Amino acid sequence: MSDNPVVSDNSPQANHQADQTHFGFRQVEKSKKASMVAGVFDSVAAKYDLMNDLMSMGIHRLWKRYTIDCSGVRAGHKVLDLAGGTGDLAAKFSRLVGPTGSVTLADINHSMLTVGRNKLRDMGLISNLDYVQADAEALPFPDNSFDLVTMAFGLRNVTEKQNALNSIFRVLKPGGRLLVLEFSKPQSEHLSKLYDMYSFHILPKMGQLVANDAESYQYLAESIRMHPDQETLKGMFETAGFEQCDFHNLTGGIVALHRGFKF
Amino acid sequence: MPAQSLLTATLEQGLNRLLALDPDSADRLAKLHGYRLLVFLEPFRRGLALAFSDKVDVLALEHEHSATVARLGSNECCIKTRLDVLGELSQTSQLTRLIQQGALQVDGELQIAQHASNLFQSLDIDWEEQLSRYTGDVVAHQTFALAAHAKESLLGVLDRINAGVGNALVEEKTLAAHRLAVMHFSDEVDRLRDDVERLDARFSQLQKQLKNT
Repeated sequence: MSDNPVVSDNSPQANHQADQTHFGFRQVEKSKKASMVAGVFDSVAAKYDLMNDLMSMGIHRLWKRYTIDCSGVRAGHKVLDLAGGTGDLAAKFSRLVGPTGSVTLADINHSMLTVGRNKLRDMGLISNLDYVQADAEALPFPDNSFDLVTMAFGLRNVTEKQNALNSIFRVLKPGGRLLVLEFSKPQSEHLSKLYDMYSFHILPKMGQLVANDAESYQYLAESIRMHPDQETLKGMFETAGFEQCDFHNLTGGIVALHRGFKF
Repeated sequence: MPAQSLLTATLEQGLNRLLALDPDSADRLAKLHGYRLLVFLEPFRRGLALAFSDKVDVLALEHEHSATVARLGSNECCIKTRLDVLGELSQTSQLTRLIQQGALQVDGELQIAQHASNLFQSLDIDWEEQLSRYTGDVVAHQTFALAAHAKESLLGVLDRINAGVGNALVEEKTLAAHRLAVMHFSDEVDRLRDDVERLDARFSQLQKQLKNT
């Protein structure tokens, strides 16, 4: 007999809470979050790259480059770039896997996928790239399909993050790896204060000025604060079944790269 | 780490920029399509990978040299050398000596390294043409003619200074010996060394004879 018997709470209040999730600092119904996130990205898609460069002062390119360095990708590999947005990672992977490999750029948001596809086509990258509009929580791919799955700045927008990690684990081949690049918790208190000031006061104004949309960038700042910290996310990786999980803090922990293997 | 990523990004940008300035480099690059050259430079622990496609991608390697060699694929070549012998790698006649001395280690497909070396060594960039895109032909031509003239004049001045200083040191101040005098001195030293060795051998022989009697 268990010392701590599980008590099922079927009260209307408990059910209501179970149906809720966060959208930035707000509590919303789980069923509505995906469409609300879609609204944010529909709004920012056209200016996404420009805003990324402005917001991070170009450092996001170095974070993504570090992700590629840690990917171990080789010619012939099959890569899934989840929440691939405007295709920064996919462009590089496309050249690295060569004609014998393939890169699937997947995003739940049609606007982002369209911007990404147009950008990659303009770069002359066509032959080994596929585009799929897909929900990370229910990936439409067979088991053991990919050597590498990457997700850069996408996981925090997913409603049920654990479901997404489980789904990614399923589609990875044994020996494959998952890399999640995501905003995280700064490791120094001073940096944290500075970062808060930047995210809540400067970022929305920047969004208003460049993309004419302060709200989406307010959501960005809030969603980062609601995202699990480094250790919690590592634990979620392990829960999904990943092994040899670790993370690397980048720029003082503002961003962290989590890595896990499926064996 | 962003610092390491910044380094590889700068290197990648620089290499691709140089290749883009030489129209003939595309043919040489095509020979390397799909191949990777992995480079370890001591004393740095981490290596770099140059992945060739229609451009060159530069990646920082995950593993150290021995682990990288153990994972080497058929389309890869791994080179390990020291920073101070890097300049000697351009002389193909020196490669065997460097390998024998352990200053250069090559694993995997050697042709990849040869093609990669050829890709960069054969770079032929018409800098005057590049400048003319921004300044026009006349200004570019005059700038380069002026630079060539300045270089020639500078070399002439350096030669004269060299000769003047040499003359002052050897003839006027007699602080240094003339080249012929140094050669003569070296020959004399060689001759003296031979004489001493001969004498030493003679003594040894006499010592043996004395012991036997």
